[in-house]
Amino acid sequence: MIRAIAALALAIAIIAGALLALGASPLGVMAALAQGAFGNWYALTDTVVRATPLIFTGLAISVSFSAALWNIGADGQLVMGAIAAGAVGPYLGGWPRPLAITLMMAVGAAGGAVWGGICGWLRARRDTNEVISTIMMNFVAAQLLSWVVHGPLMEPSRAYPASTPIAENAHMYMFMPPSRLNLGIVLAVAAAIGCWVLLFKTAIGFEMRAMGRNRRAATFFGIPIARLSVSVLALSGAIAGLAGAVQVSAITHRLYEKMSPGWGFEGIAVALVARLHPLGIIASALVFGALDNGSQAMQRAQGVSAELVQVIQALVIMILLAFDTPLLARLGGRLRRAMPIAARSAEEPSDA
Amino acid sequence: MLRATNITKRFDEVVALDRANFEAGPAEIHALVGENGAGKTTLMNIISGRLRQDEGAASLDGIDLPAGSALAALKAGVAVVNQSPMLFERMTWEENLAFGGFETGGFDLAAVASRASELAHSLGFSLPPRASLIEERTMAERVRLEILRALSFKPRVLILDEPTGVLAPSELGAFLDLLRRLRAEGRIIVLITHKLGEALSVADRITVLRQGRVVAKTTPAETSEAELARLMIGELPEAPVGPSSSRHEGGPALSIRGLSARRDGRLVLDNVSISLRAGEIAGLAGVDGNGQAELVDILAGVRARDCGEISFAGDQDEAAMTVIPEDRDLVGLVLDMTLWENLVLSRPLLKRTTRRGWLDRKEAMRLCGEMLARFRIRAPGPDTIAATLSGGNRQRLEVARAIASTPRVIVAHNICRGLDLAGTADVHRTLAQFAASGGAVLLISSDLDELVRMCGRLYVISRGRVREAAPDERNPETLGMLMAGKWN
Repeated sequence: MIRAIAALALAIAIIAGALLALGASPLGVMAALAQGAFGNWYALTDTVVRATPLIFTGLAISVSFSAALWNIGADGQLVMGAIAAGAVGPYLGGWPRPLAITLMMAVGAAGGAVWGGICGWLRARRDTNEVISTIMMNFVAAQLLSWVVHGPLMEPSRAYPASTPIAENAHMYMFMPPSRLNLGIVLAVAAAIGCWVLLFKTAIGFEMRAMGRNRRAATFFGIPIARLSVSVLALSGAIAGLAGAVQVSAITHRLYEKMSPGWGFEGIAVALVARLHPLGIIASALVFGALDNGSQAMQRAQGVSAELVQVIQALVIMILLAFDTPLLARLGGRLRRAMPIAARSAEEPSDA
Repeated sequence: MLRATNITKRFDEVVALDRANFEAGPAEIHALVGENGAGKTTLMNIISGRLRQDEGAASLDGIDLPAGSALAALKAGVAVVNQSPMLFERMTWEENLAFGGFETGGFDLAAVASRASELAHSLGFSLPPRASLIEERTMAERVRLEILRALSFKPRVLILDEPTGVLAPSELGAFLDLLRRLRAEGRIIVLITHKLGEALSVADRITVLRQGRVVAKTTPAETSEAELARLMIGELPEAPVGPSSSRHEGGPALSIRGLSARRDGRLVLDNVSISLRAGEIAGLAGVDGNGQAELVDILAGVRARDCGEISFAGDQDEAAMTVIPEDRDLVGLVLDMTLWENLVLSRPLLKRTTRRGWLDRKEAMRLCGEMLARFRIRAPGPDTIAATLSGGNRQRLEVARAIASTPRVIVAHNICRGLDLAGTADVHRTLAQFAASGGAVLLISSDLDELVRMCGRLYVISRGRVREAAPDERNPETLGMLMAGKWN
C-alpha cells in the first residue's frame, strides 16, 4: 500500500514537471481535477459511478492474476455480459423488478463466464496461452456487439446503431436522483468482499493462490490445475460480465456500439495498483474513477487535454510495476512464454 | 598464489565473513569446508568478484583483484563452477557454452560444440544431443556443462562450489582425477565441499570455516574426518543413525510391479519392481537422470505411466503415501507463501484444516507451530514467509510436513543434497523414527554414503532399470558398477 502511494506520488511529480514544461500550472490543473472529481455532490457521486465498472473489472483481474492466469480479456467479457443483459432486458416488462434486475445480473455474469471459460478450457485442454486467447476474444466480443446493434438486437426504427431499450422493470435501483448513483456500487463492494473471502478464507482460494505462486508445486501436490483454470477464468469472466450488466441496467439502458471505454484494461491497472487485493481494489478503483471524472473538468478549466489523465494512469502502472518486482516477474514469465521467439534473445531462467 | 586477506562481509546485521584469510598456491587442490552458512560461497564470490567485500583484499600472484568485478576476476584467470548451475534454461547447451571461452568470434555454434565435445571427451563426459535446451537436461548434465564452460576460459584458478553432489561414484573417481590433472598443469584448484571424505582424499590443504571465521588450516595428513566435523560444527555431532536393521518388519507397505514409462518416446522406466515393508528404510541408488525423477513424478501422481501397478497395503486412499520431491525450492515449497500455507499444500493436511470448504487458518497455524517446535525448525512463527528460511530449515519443514500428513509410506528424493551435517542428521533421525514407528521409507539418492548408512535394503537404478543389490554388493565399488548399469 505504501508502495502504491509512493508510485502515485512519483507519477504526480512527473506529471507536474510535464505540465510546467507545457506552460500550465500544475496546482491549477490538480485543483481542477480534484474539483471535477469531488467538488460537489454530483461530481462525487459520478466518481463512484465511474468507479463501479472498474471495481468489477479489477476484481476479475485479481482473481485470475492471483492464480497466475493472465486474463487480458476482461473488456471482452464485460461486453459479453452487456450483450447478454441487453438482449434479455427488453423482454422483462411483466416481471417484478427485483427479479428482473437479478435476472439481468445473472445473464450478464453468465455471458462473461462463457467468454472467460472458453479461454480457461483452451488453457486446460489445449494448453493455449490465455494471454493470447483472452486478447483475441476481446476483438470477437467487440465485433459481436457491433453486429448485434446493427442486426438482431437493433432498435425497431432501425435508425440508430443501438439495441431496443430494456424494460423499465429491469432498470437498476437508483439512489438520490438526479445523481446517477445506483445499486451497482453496492454489488461491486459485495463482489469485492466475496472475492476476498474466496481467496483468503476458503480452501479453493488457497489452491488458487498456491497455483499462482508456484504452478509446479501446486501440480506436484495434486491441486487440480486444469479444473481450476477453467473455473477461475469463468469466474473472472463472470465478474467482468457483471460490470457490463450493471452498466446496461443502471446507465445506458440499451446497447451501443461502444459499451466499454477500455474498462477491462483499466481494470488491470486498478488491480495492480491494489496489488491484487480485492478490498484494495475498491480504493484503487475510486482513485481511477476520480481521475476519469476529474479529467473532464480539468480540460474545461485549464485547457489541458483529458487524455493527460491516461498518461497519468500509464505512469502509475509503470512506476508501480517498477516497484513491485515479484509480480512483474510472474507476469513477465507468462508473457515470455507467450512470445517464445522474442524470448530467445533475452532470457533468464523462467519462473514457473 | 591466490590470497585473500582479512575479508569481512556483512549482509545487513549478519556478519557473513569476519576477517577471513585464505591462501592457495599453484599446483594445489585446496579444500574449503564448512557448514551451510559458514561463508564458503560468500568468500569465493568475493574472490571471483561477484560480491564486493566490506573490508580486506584479494590478490592473484601479487596482483590485486578489483573488488566486485566478476569480469576482471575472469580476465585475471579466476573461473567458478557454481553450486546450482547458472545456465540459461531456455537456450541450447551450445548457446550456453558460447558464453564461455569456446566462442572465438563469429558465433559459430558448430565450432563451439566440437571444441566442447573434444574437451568433454578428454574428461570422460559425453555431451547431450545437439541443440537440446538446458531445461530438458538433468542436473548432472548441467553441472558437467558448467564445468566445461568454466574450463573453457583456461583459468589459472578454478573454484568449484559443491560440484560432486550430483556426480555418480563412478564419475567421482574420474572427476577427482580430472582435478589432479588440472593441478598437475599448475593450476590453483579450490574445492568447496562439506563432504569431508572427499576433501581428505583429494586435497593438499584444507581450510575450515565456521560462522564466517577461519577456524583451522590443516592438511589431510594432520587431521581426520571426526576432527574436521568437530571443527566445522564446533561440537561433536550426534552419533549418526545406523541403518534400519530392524528385521522384525511388518507386512508389505508399498509394492510397485512392472512399472514402465516413456518420456518423449524414450523408455525412461523399464519394468520397474520395488517393494517396501512396513518399518524399513529401503534405498534407491542411482546417478541422477536414470529415471528417478520420472518414478517420483509417477508416485506423486503427476505423470502417467504406460503400464505397471502401484499398490499399498490396506485401503488405497491418497494419504497412504507422501512424496518429498527433489527440488524443494521449485517443487516442494511455495517460497513466497507462509510456512502454514506451505504445510497445508499437502492434501491430507489441507483436508484436515478445511471445514465445508472453509480454510481453518487458526487450526493450520496451530498445527504449523507444533511442527516448528517438534522438528526444531528455526523460524519466527507460522506466519513467516518460506523464502526467508535457510535451506536446512526448509528441508526440515518439508520432512515435518510429510510426517504430519501421517502417511504409511514416505518417498524421499535427494532430500539431503546441499544440507549441512546438522541438517542431514536431523532429517535422517526423523526418517528413522518414522520407520521405527511402522512407516516405510524409500530413500532415493545419488549419495552412496547416505544410502549405505541409512538403508536396510538397497535397490539400484540405471537407465530406467531397477535391481536389488545383494547384501554382499553393499560396497561403493560394486554399487558404483551397478549404478553404471553393469549387471546382467
